[in-house]
Amino acid sequence: MQLDSKVPDGPLSEKWDQHLFDLKLINPANKRKFEIVVVGTGLAGGAASATLAELGYNVKTFCIQDSPRRAHSIAAQGGINAAKNYSNDGDSIRRLFYDTIKGGDYRAREANVYRLAQISNNIIDQCVAQGVPFAREYGGLLANRSFGGAQVSRTFYARGQTGQQLLLGAYSALSRQIAAGKVKMFTRRDMLDLIIVNGKARGIVTRNLVNGNIESHAADAVVLATGGYGNVFYLSTNAMASNVTAAYSAYRKGAAFANPCYTQIHPTCVPVHGTYQSKLTLMSESLRNDGRVWVPKDSGDKRPPGQIPESERDYYLENKYPSFGNLVPRDVASRNAKLQCDMGKGAGETGLAVYLDFEDAIKRDGRDVIAKKYGNLFQMYEKITADNPYEAPMMIYPAMHYAMGGLWVDYNLMSTIPGLFVLGEANFSDHGANRLGASALMQGLADGYFIIPYTIGGYLAGTELEKIDVDDSAFKETADTVRSQIKKMLSISGRRTVDDFHRELGKIMWEYCGMSRTDEGLAKAKDLIVELKGEFRENALVPGSGAEFNQNLEKAKRVADFIEFGELMIIDALARKESCGGHFNADYQTEENEARRDDENYSHVSAWEYAGEGKEPVFHKESLAFENVELTQRSYK
Amino acid sequence: MNWFFDIIRSSIGKKMMMAVTGLSFCIFLTGHLIGNLTIYKGKDAFNTYAEKLHSLGPLLTAAEIGLLLFAVVHVLSGTLLFIGNFYARPQRYVIKKSAGGRTVGSRTMPYTGFFVLLFVVFHLINFHFVDKTQQTIYLIVSNAFADPVYVFVYIAAMIIVAVHVSHGFWSAFQTVGANHPKYMPIVRGTAICFSLAIGVGFGFLPIYIFYMQ
Amino acid sequence: MSESKDKKAINLTLKVWRQIGPDVKGSLETYHAGDISTDMSFLEMLDVVNEGLIIEGKEPIAFDHDCREGICGMCGAMVNGRAHGPEKGTTLCQLHMRHFSDNDTIVIEPWKSRAFKIIKDLAVDRSALDLIIQAGGYISANAGGAPDGNAIPFPQESAEKAMDAAACIGCGACVASCPNASAMLFVGAKVSHFALLPQGRPEAVKRVLAMVKKMDECGFGNCTNETECEAECPKEISITNIARLNREYLKAGFL
Repeated sequence: MQLDSKVPDGPLSEKWDQHLFDLKLINPANKRKFEIVVVGTGLAGGAASATLAELGYNVKTFCIQDSPRRAHSIAAQGGINAAKNYSNDGDSIRRLFYDTIKGGDYRAREANVYRLAQISNNIIDQCVAQGVPFAREYGGLLANRSFGGAQVSRTFYARGQTGQQLLLGAYSALSRQIAAGKVKMFTRRDMLDLIIVNGKARGIVTRNLVNGNIESHAADAVVLATGGYGNVFYLSTNAMASNVTAAYSAYRKGAAFANPCYTQIHPTCVPVHGTYQSKLTLMSESLRNDGRVWVPKDSGDKRPPGQIPESERDYYLENKYPSFGNLVPRDVASRNAKLQCDMGKGAGETGLAVYLDFEDAIKRDGRDVIAKKYGNLFQMYEKITADNPYEAPMMIYPAMHYAMGGLWVDYNLMSTIPGLFVLGEANFSDHGANRLGASALMQGLADGYFIIPYTIGGYLAGTELEKIDVDDSAFKETADTVRSQIKKMLSISGRRTVDDFHRELGKIMWEYCGMSRTDEGLAKAKDLIVELKGEFRENALVPGSGAEFNQNLEKAKRVADFIEFGELMIIDALARKESCGGHFNADYQTEENEARRDDENYSHVSAWEYAGEGKEPVFHKESLAFENVELTQRSYK
Repeated sequence: MNWFFDIIRSSIGKKMMMAVTGLSFCIFLTGHLIGNLTIYKGKDAFNTYAEKLHSLGPLLTAAEIGLLLFAVVHVLSGTLLFIGNFYARPQRYVIKKSAGGRTVGSRTMPYTGFFVLLFVVFHLINFHFVDKTQQTIYLIVSNAFADPVYVFVYIAAMIIVAVHVSHGFWSAFQTVGANHPKYMPIVRGTAICFSLAIGVGFGFLPIYIFYMQ
Repeated sequence: MSESKDKKAINLTLKVWRQIGPDVKGSLETYHAGDISTDMSFLEMLDVVNEGLIIEGKEPIAFDHDCREGICGMCGAMVNGRAHGPEKGTTLCQLHMRHFSDNDTIVIEPWKSRAFKIIKDLAVDRSALDLIIQAGGYISANAGGAPDGNAIPFPQESAEKAMDAAACIGCGACVASCPNASAMLFVGAKVSHFALLPQGRPEAVKRVLAMVKKMDECGFGNCTNETECEAECPKEISITNIARLNREYLKAGFL
């Protein structure tokens, strides 16, 4: 396998322009002769489907939910970054690029990140034109707020529901194309396998979740926008249905998986409170704009927060990182929360929480101003915990949130399988080892609205595509394989529920491959996962049949893939003998407990190639060259 | 004219017709009540009012035809809406509770409407389609309300009308799009006052006449 | 304070609507849900019940859900006759068991309406709402041609009002709670969202006519201003949006 990033030559700021010019074009009348399959309807998939259809391609779009509007992009709260410099605080494309590269701990590809920063401005324009009701100033111009990891205000937002509003924008554009007949929408479909014909991605096999039918769809190119794999931790801020199955099936078919160990733990989530818990709820990072994070100075201090006087509180982020304070990037904030709790200073019954306090902000700005900014978040917090954050500080704890790793893609967002494009969180491309807040929405929409529409044209125009049909043997064989896998899964009839397996997997991953890893722990976790995989195959209990609406069967397939994927994550984490961003290995840290990178040996993307059942995956390396930024120890002090 | 029928056939169109005709009936009721209040001034005043009304001749006929037309539209649209709403949920809930949005008026709209229709027919037979050459309208009315059964029927009917109007009045504003957070509380307050005025204003007349004799 | 919050476990009797397919007769089945922590969400309670059913070899209860943080709009059921349960402004996934008492009986039914077919148990097909959006719930702005985001300033107040309307999560609770199974709040919210923005005006006439037409075709009932939708909407969307829809419709139809 050759990893060719296809990054164009030339100065950084001209690469994208040059590339656009170099890409082959397809005449508008010919675009309708191409069939494109898009899997996923989040920001990336929804935007891509709509835009490709606008250009004239015939698009078939698939989603697991009952409507394309429900993809998990909808849950993003805080905002979307753009280098508009509307705040006149010295922002620029270059600065957004720099912040993102630095925030990613210098493990992202320069050219991709620069392109992302360039496109960020178009995204805002496009969304405004679609009717996204961004927050505005009294004068009627767009409002901005600041976010973690940046010292400028460049985040556009729609209350605490930015993701929802951007997704509804993409969904409405998609709906328009569905009505126009250019997009054929398939809801409640699980993509279970990828079809390869003559080495190129030529279609997918799906399961209709309502009646269980196994369906094949042929295409000239396949676009995966299936999100991240955060649910490998069982408890995460991801939606219940978010899964790795589609991406993992592409991996099994030859697409390299890049940096799976880069997972982002979000610092501000509602803490875990019981074994029955099914999900963790995120509280937007924007809360750190006004909230102050603290723990008691003395370990074991179990007094209620109101009784702990100011002098006995440790505002550890402000003290340790005076220039960024509470707005340090997510990985830094998360790790510090864990450090404090490990020292026994954690709040609440479990001791696994820190305080996020709004008392000073309310005193300074008044309750109304705070309510206007964060009202819905406070309300959500109160619903879950029955505590009122206006009166007592919130308790928060880090939780699995975002996967920086994903399928490896080149500058065109094409994977190592020709014709298979991967967008959004499902690819690995732009965030390096750690993603900055408000950048996921930016990347999803950049990929969908402004990158794939051009690069896919370049591929289609320059590729010889044979005529194929769903009745061809490649389709039939793949569909048969999927059917037999399902049959096998239903016939295990063990004694443990799928959820129970998932919970155990989550525990292993969180304990050994979570916020803080060690070589020893990872090695142990690998054995545990292999054991769990074995037990699943013998002892899983999946009720019902394959020919019906069977939510447990859906789950079983997803959990089975998560278990295998967990192993890949651990292999990747073990191979990276350094700490960077979301991958923190305690064996590689500075004296101040910060991540210690090893730029000499690990300034690369690790891409893994599937080698077959039970075999260790094959390691490939894409070296990262930094010509425009200087690699420094990331400092937010 | 196709566009016109497309509009009024739609769900909003039918409701708009309910609103416009309903509001017209509210205006009619106001006029009717003001006229009827002359009863308190005595027999002659009431008869004079009736004569004056009848002297309008063709104007009155036009108004009557208008009211009839409106009534047909109101009843027809109401029936269509009722049937449509019935079929919109073929399978009912085993348990359904209100979240506090519904009122007695809104809940009973089609049923109170049906009773109002029956009452209007009854009322017209009693007081409109009677031979008025032999006796004055006052005599007809006082004869009728000498019978406690009539008094009871009319009071009951007026309560039903008031309940119907309590929802219909504000609902009409909402349907034609006149809902503004600033003014809606006033409209809703007015609806209650108006329905009370109609109920009490009309409802007290039979009692007054019954006891006057 | 959570420190002083009493941790409790409660026992419940559930009566759940079971129906194996859209055209099959359904009925309420009784289940026991024991030792339910009051910190659980409603859906976590159902998870626990389902795990028990699976172990017993029985068919688990099918129900739709996804984000479990009240924003995706996937979950929803009638709980004791109330859409998304008894709490105001709350989706089913955000309803917590502390709002129930020991030995309560809870009746759980799916959304019922002609336009929403039951797929299985509590899962329903709400694609009619998508059809309405496809009829006109968009601004025709192809990617690429947009002017600068600040090119058209407009009052913060309209942006806020548009956002109030745009907060709709498309869960269908308005239809489910409406005595007439009407979708006017859903349509009103979308029409209002665009009607309030200058970008939405060029297509306002076409949009409102097309969306209402599709809504009627889908078999939803008619709005009789019962205002149950507003009272049950998990995002507390106001019926002023229905009035705006009416206004837009009349304007579009007659002017």
